[in-house]
Amino acid sequence: MTEPVTPIGYNTHRQSDIRLMLERMNLPDIDALFAAIPAALRLQQPLNLPLPLSEWELAKHVRTLAASNATTETHLSFLGGGAYEHHAPAVIDAIVNRGEFLTAYTPYQPEMSQGLLQALFEFQTLLARLLGKPSVNCSVYDGATAAAESAWMMVSISGKKRIAVAESFWPEWLEVIRTYMRGRDVEVVVIRAREEDGRLDQDGLNQALADGKTAGILVQTPNRFGVIEDIASLSAIAHDHGVLSCISWHPLLTGILKSPGEMGADIVCCEAQSLGIPLSAGGPYLGVIATSQAYEKYLPGRIVGRVFNQQGRELYALVKEEREQHIAREKATSHICSNQALQAIRATLFLALLGETGFARLAALNTEKAHYLARQLTDLPGVELTFRSPFFNEFMLTVPCTTMPLLEKLRSRCIFAGIAVDYPGLDRGRHLLIAVTEVKSRAELDAMVQAFEVVLMETVA
Amino acid sequence: MSAEPVKTLLEKSRPGASGSQITDNDFGEPAVGHYFDASQLRTTAIGLPELTESEIVRHFTALSKLSHGVDNGAYPLGSCTMKYNPKRNDVLAALSGFRNAHPHQPPETLPGLWELYFHLQRYLCEITGMFAASLVPAAGAHGELAGLLMIRAYFEHINQHRPILLITDSAHGTNASSAAMAGFQCWLVPTDPDGLLDMQMLDTMLGESVAGLMMTNPSTLGLFEENILEIADKVHACGGLLYYDGANMNALMGIARPGDMGFDVIHVNTHKTFSTPHGGGGPGAGPVAVNRLLEPFLPGPVIIHNGDAFMPDQDRPHSIGRIKSHHGHVAVLIRAYAYILTMGALGLRQVSENAVLNANYLQARLADMFPPVFNRLCMHETLLSGSRLETETAYFAKKLIDQVLHPPTMVGAGCVYFPGDLKSAMLIEPTETESLDSLDAMIEVFRDVFSECSDGSTDT
Repeated sequence: MTEPVTPIGYNTHRQSDIRLMLERMNLPDIDALFAAIPAALRLQQPLNLPLPLSEWELAKHVRTLAASNATTETHLSFLGGGAYEHHAPAVIDAIVNRGEFLTAYTPYQPEMSQGLLQALFEFQTLLARLLGKPSVNCSVYDGATAAAESAWMMVSISGKKRIAVAESFWPEWLEVIRTYMRGRDVEVVVIRAREEDGRLDQDGLNQALADGKTAGILVQTPNRFGVIEDIASLSAIAHDHGVLSCISWHPLLTGILKSPGEMGADIVCCEAQSLGIPLSAGGPYLGVIATSQAYEKYLPGRIVGRVFNQQGRELYALVKEEREQHIAREKATSHICSNQALQAIRATLFLALLGETGFARLAALNTEKAHYLARQLTDLPGVELTFRSPFFNEFMLTVPCTTMPLLEKLRSRCIFAGIAVDYPGLDRGRHLLIAVTEVKSRAELDAMVQAFEVVLMETVA
Repeated sequence: MSAEPVKTLLEKSRPGASGSQITDNDFGEPAVGHYFDASQLRTTAIGLPELTESEIVRHFTALSKLSHGVDNGAYPLGSCTMKYNPKRNDVLAALSGFRNAHPHQPPETLPGLWELYFHLQRYLCEITGMFAASLVPAAGAHGELAGLLMIRAYFEHINQHRPILLITDSAHGTNASSAAMAGFQCWLVPTDPDGLLDMQMLDTMLGESVAGLMMTNPSTLGLFEENILEIADKVHACGGLLYYDGANMNALMGIARPGDMGFDVIHVNTHKTFSTPHGGGGPGAGPVAVNRLLEPFLPGPVIIHNGDAFMPDQDRPHSIGRIKSHHGHVAVLIRAYAYILTMGALGLRQVSENAVLNANYLQARLADMFPPVFNRLCMHETLLSGSRLETETAYFAKKLIDQVLHPPTMVGAGCVYFPGDLKSAMLIEPTETESLDSLDAMIEVFRDVFSECSDGSTDT
């Protein structure tokens, strides 16, 4: 092997340092350190990787890759489907890029991590208020795994190996739920949406729960059609059958509506990307689960609490670790090791910056702008809302042509107009899910309507 | 670290203050209640704090001062691998072309993302000696779950019922917990007196109902499993598969490869091996890589090079299915990619050489106070005995903190599990990014605190 002479990249030792260290250890050379590795396994030539790049060469290369992607800056985007283009105040980046947060490990050592632990404790406190349940974990990977983990919680709590899941979940999330449940042989029964209003079919739900073998129900609101579900009624049905109710919730909804906890949910899970987390082509995002104290021992993820140390001083620390993999191993109810702590700090900053009033205003602006666009678009001939049910910042249209060419033509005008939706029972290829957030100006919304009209005429003709 | 406690945001809240300007000149302050079911409308306050932007910045700056990162100083937590996180990678991960891309954009509008993913998949395969990779798992534990679900899917595919998974008793807790989530029953393979997997016990445990063996190499005890080729033969001979927990891959880059050792499926932790920041707990990324046999079962998206375009492979009928909402932790994976391109093959080998050198240097220089539990050269981390300490290791740790040195991993404080009677042991992993001066300073602090603890002064 060729011996590199100078330290490459972030390596620290000069050749003289290495010689000195080996001397102090009475070792002849670096190779001696690897004597335990059988000779047959020692690589005889360097790995086949590109030559090391300088910082400017690397930057040029990665910038070129980045520049080839379309983004919400190159296109006017109305994409949602579980990930939303919101404004993230500049303070968030400034704080989470501080090395004390960005480069810290999991705060197992409380004395070295009081600030980080307090930030996560404050996250739990604020999310508990937002979701309406007192016990909140400080994160799982994303909204989809939060839903899957919640399903497993219901199975553990009830001892029953079946869950009833709304078919109107984001399709990708439903797939994640199925993958997770397959691991533990939990049966997944899907409950259909009603064709008249896009809400969960309550008769179907009643039937599915009738035999008493279901652990709980898992429902997403707003659902994959943008329709807001009747959480209180669904939770009441679950409770009538003696099963648990878990709601996958859009956290901004609490700016307008009662929290899901208030409306009867036993477990609330959510994707909290909307709380100050960039789109980043899909991640990292932030999954959160909240529940009652009674079910806390089934929560996955870490929990920060206030405890007293041996000197009687109150401090923050990770608590209830007996649930977790590093203690309970195969019996753990929490499999999480790396979580989304830094994203949780982002969300805490977001909620603090907006405050009570700002948060409510943000939710109202999202609602109004989405409804404004929906009104303008449904004024176009043949375009209508698929369901006349309440929606928040995302709605589904039925269009008088096939959606794919429509979307492609709008894309050639630098507009991502929405997501094509197919659902059994709805006309195939005629539905479009459109998301609008606070960042769209009236001029942009009007430009969308204008382009939509032109392209619609072309496509229908 | 002994500053006054900081009041919480809620305690500091001044209702009516604002840290943001949520105004809109087009839409004003719309009333939107009429759009919703009246019964669902909120009637009470949520209870969010209200402070100004400057107050919030000061609050979190105060909290940051009560936290410790690699940027602040050495972080020798064994098995956690807290190495330096390059700043240039943070900048690249935040480029608008990635940061502002939406996961539901048509795939053909994200060519740069797929190109980066494709090459990162190839680099990971080259470094680990595997055939194909998926970058989507969110963290090491998530990678384990994906890997074990692939093993399960494989045996279902060939109609074999193998409900047992063997795990070494020194394994990370996530191994056992992942196995349970994937529907396996765990049997623990003991560690022999030399700190290696007990080969005789392995023989008695292997059989037709065993799906495979999950192990870390080097192990969590910092030792290379030198019988690995024989272990692989034994596991394969009984029809089982070998899972590699890549938590310690940082010791082997350019030196040896799990694929060559006979592992069938692996995951790597990007923060341990490829320097992505740990963020106070996460986000991480836990890409999985497999041999040819298991390739069809990889979770999507898997990026392929199709003609002249890089694209997610849409045709994966045997895949275990989706394990995450979108394409994985893009902003983390960009950093891992940038790291590999900065280091190159020789730089990565230096990383592993220096990581092992540094661990052995600490082991040798601390041996008179803390003899190594296994009296031999270690790999990237060393397990030291606290038996010569006259105080509890927890007290020793507190004293290190008083000297502003982050303590090593001890029982009950870290993500590892020490088998047998090792309650007073500590696992130290300096990583390659600590200089000789830093190591010597660390040794000096250990020496001072050790003698302080030996003076019988156990005051608090």
